[in-house]
Amino acid sequence: MSKGKSRSWSQRDRSIPRRPLLWLAAALLFTLPPMFASLATWIPCFFLATLAIKFWMEPKGYRLRLAPLKLILAAMALVVIFFSYGSLKGVEPGVSLLVVLMSLKILEAHTSREFQVIVTMGWVLCLCGFFLSQDFAIALCLLVAFTLQIAALVQFHRGSSPGAFWPPLGAACKLLAQAFPLVVLLFFLCPRISTGFRFDFRDALSAASGFSDRLSPGSIASLASSSDIAFRAEFPDSKTRPPGPMYWRGVVMWRCEGMEWRAPYTPASLAHSSSVGASSARRTEFARALPIQSRGGKAIRQRIALAPHGAHWMFALDRPFEAAPGATLANGNYLWSVQPIRKPRRYEIVSSLESTGKELQPRERKAALELPNSISPAVRELAESWTAQNSDPHVIVNNALQFFRTHGFRYSLSPGEYKKNDLDQFLFQRRVGFCEHYAASFATLMRLAGIPARVVAGYLGGEYNDLGRFFLVRQADTHAWCEVWLPDSGWTRVDPTSIVAPGRASLDLNSFLDRRIASGEMETRRSAFVTQLTRLAIFTNIRLAWETLNYQWDTRVLGFDADVQEALLGAAGIASSGPFFTIAEILIVVTALLIFYACWMQLRTRSRTDRVKGLYERFCRKLTRLGVRRDPWDGPSDFSSRAAQLLPNESKRIREISNTYITLRYSPESGTIAHDTFAKQVSAFAAHSC
Amino acid sequence: MKERKFVYPTISFAGLLFVLAAMWYAASSQNSPAVYLLLFTLMAVFLVSIPHTLTNLAGVTIALQSAKPAFAGEEVSLPVEVMNESRATRHGIDLALSSSGRERKRVDYIPSGKAARVTLQFPGGQRGEHRIGALCLTSAYPLGFIRFLKKFAVSQTYLVYPKPAGDLQLPSSRARSADVRPQADFGEGDDFAGVRAYVPGESQRHIDWKAVARGQPLMTKQFAAEAEGAVYLDFSALDFSDVEKSLSQLALWVIQAERARRPYGLRLPGAEIPATVGQSHFHQCLRALSLFQSIQSDEEEHE
Repeated sequence: MSKGKSRSWSQRDRSIPRRPLLWLAAALLFTLPPMFASLATWIPCFFLATLAIKFWMEPKGYRLRLAPLKLILAAMALVVIFFSYGSLKGVEPGVSLLVVLMSLKILEAHTSREFQVIVTMGWVLCLCGFFLSQDFAIALCLLVAFTLQIAALVQFHRGSSPGAFWPPLGAACKLLAQAFPLVVLLFFLCPRISTGFRFDFRDALSAASGFSDRLSPGSIASLASSSDIAFRAEFPDSKTRPPGPMYWRGVVMWRCEGMEWRAPYTPASLAHSSSVGASSARRTEFARALPIQSRGGKAIRQRIALAPHGAHWMFALDRPFEAAPGATLANGNYLWSVQPIRKPRRYEIVSSLESTGKELQPRERKAALELPNSISPAVRELAESWTAQNSDPHVIVNNALQFFRTHGFRYSLSPGEYKKNDLDQFLFQRRVGFCEHYAASFATLMRLAGIPARVVAGYLGGEYNDLGRFFLVRQADTHAWCEVWLPDSGWTRVDPTSIVAPGRASLDLNSFLDRRIASGEMETRRSAFVTQLTRLAIFTNIRLAWETLNYQWDTRVLGFDADVQEALLGAAGIASSGPFFTIAEILIVVTALLIFYACWMQLRTRSRTDRVKGLYERFCRKLTRLGVRRDPWDGPSDFSSRAAQLLPNESKRIREISNTYITLRYSPESGTIAHDTFAKQVSAFAAHSC
Repeated sequence: MKERKFVYPTISFAGLLFVLAAMWYAASSQNSPAVYLLLFTLMAVFLVSIPHTLTNLAGVTIALQSAKPAFAGEEVSLPVEVMNESRATRHGIDLALSSSGRERKRVDYIPSGKAARVTLQFPGGQRGEHRIGALCLTSAYPLGFIRFLKKFAVSQTYLVYPKPAGDLQLPSSRARSADVRPQADFGEGDDFAGVRAYVPGESQRHIDWKAVARGQPLMTKQFAAEAEGAVYLDFSALDFSDVEKSLSQLALWVIQAERARRPYGLRLPGAEIPATVGQSHFHQCLRALSLFQSIQSDEEEHE
């Protein structure tokens, strides 16, 4: 009869049992990935070592006891952290300190209460993980860690119950599953009451990622191997990929220095140099852009989720109509964020695929024709040879493109370094280059030929994800192209790279390179096996699905901040009555749900004998109404005979019910009679007699 | 058995609150949806664990068996059967004597329809009859942040016999001449004369350990030395000023006489137990000693 072991409490309290400690260690391991990515390497290593030492110490009963030793270790950690980061301020040193102190606490802990403390601290580590990174992969890691921590707690309270793996894990998952509706409810509806004091942890980001405001030989090629995400864009109005090449405009460079091009430091500075108010210049271009939208068909609405890059660039498909909130539309129709972008940012923008504007202001024309003095005579001669043939700008542009097509120019990721006289070297000697070489040289040649020209830097293409219906644009897709002013069509895009490397425009860089490698045009960058493997359909699908999940996480979850919530709730008319009223409503719903859970669990685990007993009590109550009271000392059998005597009309039924009850309650063959039959008998009894 | 139910947070709950507060502060000051998600998940898991804790003791009841009497200064053992009448296995149940009692026993699990036998051990206190008062079943399963308590009012009592102490020699044998064997050898003669049941409180030196190893109950080996007649242990014949000392002396004699299988009787003021021998007589005598003039002290102890 007696199952299960019992132990005295004090014995149990003296050490942390092994099984929950294992669960906890597994959980804490999953908090490490964000740490390895962001913290000094010794810190997660120290943490791992602590866990290992704890497992060695625990069965032997060792622990960190001496208070001075603890203090010395903590002070040493503080010093080492200071030397690792050069300061104690900021997220990384703070999290490091927390991790080290937690490691010491793990070495020190030895009672069951302290186990609970460590698990609670583990949740703080999850919090720290989110300070360091909020990637979807990290979030998944932390979710696993979180679940395992619950499993550790459950295992801790289960003690020596059979089953050390699935039962605690199952219990943890069950808790999470039941908590899920609450999480959704709280996440969407709970008012995010602001403390009024906002600070930003992630401002250590330098402007290093992504491109800069200057275009020089090699500046874009250096990004070609970066698979970092620049931004993701979806098109809410169309269900398919928009046709044609996708040129994502980032910045327009006006200042020519031969092979080097620069953007104005801030967009306003160009406006100053042309002595026109910055805003009015922008407005005029914007005003001219508007009619195109009404023509319909050519305007494309995009929703862009921009990864933080620390600079002011914001991207949109060629020629955005109007500035996004918090940004201005700079001269050259590109977006310029007022604040540096240090957080993921989402914005909606409408772009035109056609050229805008039919007039070129004299100041703009002047700026678009300015040339440095360092241009060599040979280059001037080349440009003049085109103007001498024909003065029509279209013909000149075609001649220039023809020059690139026919003179053996090659497209290469690693064109080598150009030093002095780079323009001459590129045009007449080596003739190997990446997109920035072609864009810069072409635009310079155009200016030499008297055609206003500018260089646009941004991204080309990107990978379209059919599953999530969005474009994923990586740093590797950085591109530079030209725009020339043609009297009949305004600023017209000319991409000299597409002459040299046909096909690049319709593909993202990596697929383009892969194709070239496959056709033997380029030396492989990766081993053939890896290339083959990554091209398998199943891997592509898995990758697309993963990227879609990432995108959903970034936009749906990470994008749902206080402002978005406020807008959404305001639109739905939920939050209209003030945050405290909303909290009260949420509390009511939560309590109702908890009561429902409690009742459900109680009903599900209520014993069968209880039900039989309850039914019999109901039967007795009915008999009481008929005048026969059962005394506490009446056995069911005696009571039934007495009741049958007093109520001769019902005697058969009373005997029947009593016998069923006795069988169900006391007979070993109780399983043979269904409880429902008994329930029916009892209900039928009242219906007949009353 | 009347039962009352309580829910209260454990000390770890303070830690949880602190972490939740830290998360909330971080989330609101950073306006970070990810941190909010973590906060709400932790909060929701905690909230959902409450009904789990509340139902973990549903259908769990206790049945007390009678506590074995103990001598003062020894620990009382109270066997309790914890029964699980529900259809689910119950985990992590603590049984304690009272809500704040340190005498806690942990039952890790009880399968559905089964019972676990737990023996609560606690210091018996002074001689006399004590009420158990209340027994508590508590459980913090699954997460340990709140504890559910089921308190059973118990009317059962247990006896604490006076602590045996004083002179080993029985009064009658002391009156005899000095050439008789010393009292220390009493009942421990050379000739093995069989075994009898072990009497709690007596020396373990003569337990028949071999028989114990064969799975038999504790028996004391007997050696032939029993020839004397009945002895009357008389309270009024003792000249101790302290009642407790007298009772201790009488208790020791009762044990000695019972061990020697020598018929003994007990004379207390206002009560007399005729001389005989045997387990029930033995306990009757000790019970009389334990309850002697002890009504008022018993009341004081159990306020």
